Amino acid sequence: MSITSTPHDSPKRKRLDSEISHGRDYDSEAERAKLDYAYDEDSPSDVENSFHTPKEERDDASIKRRRVDRPTRLNYVLHMTLRGHKRGVAAAKFSPDGRWIASCSADSTIKIWNAQTGALVHTLEGHLAGISTITWSPDSKVLASGSDDKNIRLWDTTTGRCFPTPLKGHHNYVYSLAFSPKGNMIVSGSYDEAVFLWDVRTAHLMRSLPAHSDPVSGVDFVRDGTLIASCSSDGLIRIWDTGTGQCLKTLVHEDNAPVTSVRFSPNGKFILAATLDSTVRLWNYVEGRVVKTYQGHKNQGFSISSSFGTYTADTSPDEEDDNSDPPPKWAFVACGSEDGKTVLWDLNSKEILQTIDSHEGVVLGVDVGMDDQTMITCGVDKTVKVWKRQAMVSESTEQSRQQSPRVNNDDA
Amino acid sequence: MNLPLSDPLLLAQDIPETLIANLRCPGTAVCMRFSHKGDLLASGTAKGSIVVFDLETNGVARRLPGHTAGRTVQSLSWERSGRYLLSSSVDWKVILWDLNDGSRVRTVNLGAPVYIAELHPQNYLWCVAALYEYRPVLADLTSTSVKQFGLPNLPKRAPHEQEGAEKADAKHFATVAAFTPCGTHVITGTTKGWLSIISTVTHETVYSIRLCNKPILLIRLSRSGRDLLVNASDTIIRTIKLPDLTNPNLHADSIKLDVEHKFQDVVNRLSWNHVAFSSNADYVMASTLMNHDIYIWERVHGSLVKILEGPREELGAVEWHPTRPIVAATGVESGRIHIWSINTPQRWSALAPDFAEVEENIEYIEQEDEFDIHPIEELQKRRLDQEDEEVDVLTVDDEQLEREGGVGKTSEFRMPVLLDMGGESDSEDELIAMGAGQYRRKSTAHEDTDFEDGPSGYESHGTNGTTGTKRRRA
Repeated sequence: MSITSTPHDSPKRKRLDSEISHGRDYDSEAERAKLDYAYDEDSPSDVENSFHTPKEERDDASIKRRRVDRPTRLNYVLHMTLRGHKRGVAAAKFSPDGRWIASCSADSTIKIWNAQTGALVHTLEGHLAGISTITWSPDSKVLASGSDDKNIRLWDTTTGRCFPTPLKGHHNYVYSLAFSPKGNMIVSGSYDEAVFLWDVRTAHLMRSLPAHSDPVSGVDFVRDGTLIASCSSDGLIRIWDTGTGQCLKTLVHEDNAPVTSVRFSPNGKFILAATLDSTVRLWNYVEGRVVKTYQGHKNQGFSISSSFGTYTADTSPDEEDDNSDPPPKWAFVACGSEDGKTVLWDLNSKEILQTIDSHEGVVLGVDVGMDDQTMITCGVDKTVKVWKRQAMVSESTEQSRQQSPRVNNDDA
Repeated sequence: MNLPLSDPLLLAQDIPETLIANLRCPGTAVCMRFSHKGDLLASGTAKGSIVVFDLETNGVARRLPGHTAGRTVQSLSWERSGRYLLSSSVDWKVILWDLNDGSRVRTVNLGAPVYIAELHPQNYLWCVAALYEYRPVLADLTSTSVKQFGLPNLPKRAPHEQEGAEKADAKHFATVAAFTPCGTHVITGTTKGWLSIISTVTHETVYSIRLCNKPILLIRLSRSGRDLLVNASDTIIRTIKLPDLTNPNLHADSIKLDVEHKFQDVVNRLSWNHVAFSSNADYVMASTLMNHDIYIWERVHGSLVKILEGPREELGAVEWHPTRPIVAATGVESGRIHIWSINTPQRWSALAPDFAEVEENIEYIEQEDEFDIHPIEELQKRRLDQEDEEVDVLTVDDEQLEREGGVGKTSEFRMPVLLDMGGESDSEDELIAMGAGQYRRKSTAHEDTDFEDGPSGYESHGTNGTTGTKRRRA
């Protein structure tokens, strides 16, 4: 994707370093390609340049002229460390409105933090055992938590109070939870190997799905709520019809490795699943085949969740035109690792965009904010960390910054 | 998003066949309506309360107290986005509800018991109502001081028919009124079997026709507005093709209504409680008086295609879901709402991905390279190399957006989810006086667990503080 397919012999092309380099890339000389890789890190400033260039100067109408090259690196840096939990933090989630961060821990509390300032807003106490999973309601007002005390509790996040009726029914630890997109249902997976569907309004059990033969480690709703995905240590991912409770599809990889998390893609057409063979896979669930495999992290014993994220080319706000199309977005996949790292892969190329040294010990959870700029991770080291994306800072960037005015002068 | 995984045979099925659920509701449901999106069902009870059900959970989503307790709710009508609901009752009142917070936008006293009230399809601040022994009313709810416009009761007669009309028009009132989908006309039915088309602009009758000698009970229009369904007390259900009333060139004299089909049971002479079109008006269904069945006819040949059975009670109001093959009906005795849908059997091949369901035995043909042995690393590498297709996980299909109702509409209404609906004590009609200071709940324990398939039904009752003491005699 980073290769611009325009001919490089156009005189106008010379203005932009990156495009020159891509042009060379086009020559497919191995040496040059190596050089490109270094140049690619400059992409933030290149993009700034390209935004300055008037449209009509761009040649080759067949290709959309506002094309922005996909960054080949991301640069998330530590923004805040949220301390307060007394034991390992199992999950941390942004609220859908982006204002809050909720984290749940083995110390049987949930903490709600201000996503901007990192201030602790509420500590929710009421569970009698460690909490494995939390999920926000779509309106960000209610948080649901699933605990080893077999209960699911609903919390009013504005007051920090617990709703009086817990969702009772699981016979063993509650392991995974998800709110439906309308906020009227909750799906839960448990060590009792069942998937339960709950009516949130009445706190009644609606449906029990005889799902798996091992603990259900992950559940998720598709964007319109008509499908539920569940996964388990038995190595299966099952897709259920929410309305009828029937299993519509079962996905299984031949290695049969225990699956620890499952997530529908933002458009609902794919499923991301992490397995204990240190692999994250993207499934086309309709056709039942793996379309992408992501490797490079370590995950053999812990239930580590994976997450989708999106990124845009680095642009500082003042560079953006008001009337322009929304900038192109690419998707990445994020997953924690047992060696304390968080790994980000580009969804399509499967290249590692960034490896972040994030925690001491296992990184248990990762969640990417809706703004493409923030990410949270949590781990067994009792902390939640907030990461902010920054433009790539490197010597070559400095260099290109100095170069860019010169390039523009050439143009004039 | 479940469509690509669903069995095409099941998707092709457009008539419900089996009873799938009962909705637990406080009181006796007598009327109901699906919202336009089909995710909610509003029901009104004989005791004046209104309950909105969520069809995904089959649970109560909102209660709307406001009509005089003890008076039957007569009709309900949804605004298109699902935010507003109009209800009418024999307590003379018509109430427009805002489902965002459950508040009343307008409460209008129409001066007579209401048979039926319906919202204008385009503008939720207009409604039409048919009143008991009074003229139909068009009401403008725009301001708090509601304007009411009387509509004519009497049919439009040709000059030569005027003779003796005065005598015939004694005690001649409209019993039912309905808007056409564009809202330009109101169609009314009268106690003497006349059908009238009234302009909402001039408030004058454009056209009238006499269908029978008995009162007309219900008029329903299909969503296209070109089909009319009329239930009259002469035990005949009629479907009528309507001309395009939106056409400005349509001349009143050129309107001619012909009955397309007459549905009746000539053997048992059954009368029909309530009638409804299917979502695309291909089918007509009716619940029967003193009988437990719902009859479904198709409209091409006018033949009976299905009789829905299930509950052992007479059924009152029937409604067809706006998009899916789902039918809801109220039980006259129990007051519960029964829901029929299609049967979806579990496909066993879905549970085991290595298996496929076949109709006949198929001889297995081995592929040339099927049992070739390759080093695992090589296989792995080859597989990873094959994953070179472009995958888009972000873009949502327009079709899917359309289905979610999000195209072009930035602020789509979504009713807030109220928690603790189960813990809230139900309205007064659920408690029945047993003696001095003693009450019992009308709904008994087995009713409450109807929809449950787990033990939670019992538990939530335990948490309902008041029931523990009041239920001792139940």
